[in-house]
Amino acid sequence: MMKRTSIVQLFHGETVLFSSVLQIGDSQKINSRARVLAVQRQYELFFGNEGENIFPVFTKPIPKIQSDCRNISLQTLHQSPVISVRSIRIIAVSTAGVVHIGSTSTVDAEARIKHIRQLAPNSSEPSMGNTQTTPPMVKDEK
Amino acid sequence: MNYTVINRDVHVGDIHLIAVTSSAVFLIGDADVINLASAFDTPPESLIIGPFVPLIPGGGL
Repeated sequence: MMKRTSIVQLFHGETVLFSSVLQIGDSQKINSRARVLAVQRQYELFFGNEGENIFPVFTKPIPKIQSDCRNISLQTLHQSPVISVRSIRIIAVSTAGVVHIGSTSTVDAEARIKHIRQLAPNSSEPSMGNTQTTPPMVKDEK
Repeated sequence: MNYTVINRDVHVGDIHLIAVTSSAVFLIGDADVINLASAFDTPPESLIIGPFVPLIPGGGL
């Protein structure tokens, strides 16, 4: 298939991070993957070697839709050979996100995120009643 | 099945995005195949109120 030309007058991006792609120009294949284990603890504590590939969200296969083009005859007519955009402003591209100015053939992206929050035990307060952090009853060992 | 697409003039003004994230795609152009997947897991068990212990291998939280 013939691809159109993309014209962007102004592009402004602040941040591109965590296996994201900013592609200016045509490409053939884009493959981006991100696995995130986000552990938030009420106090600064880092054990280092925890949580590597033990969670099903990182290993479970995600079923893919198989596009069956055998019975479809696709015909694309580009009456105008350009796509033009005056300006693009993006604050952030993150976690296997793709920003692509230009044409491509295949894009395949996958993000797997596990989010865990650990709070200090506090028996004097009813749980989930108050999100404000208070000093812990038990001081955790460093 | 016969499927015909006619691409006429496309002129876009100003695009302002906050974020493109979790395997999302923002594309100015043409593509043949786009396959995107995102899995986000934060079950009730993922809120742990208790002593700060390392996440147990094989715990499957």
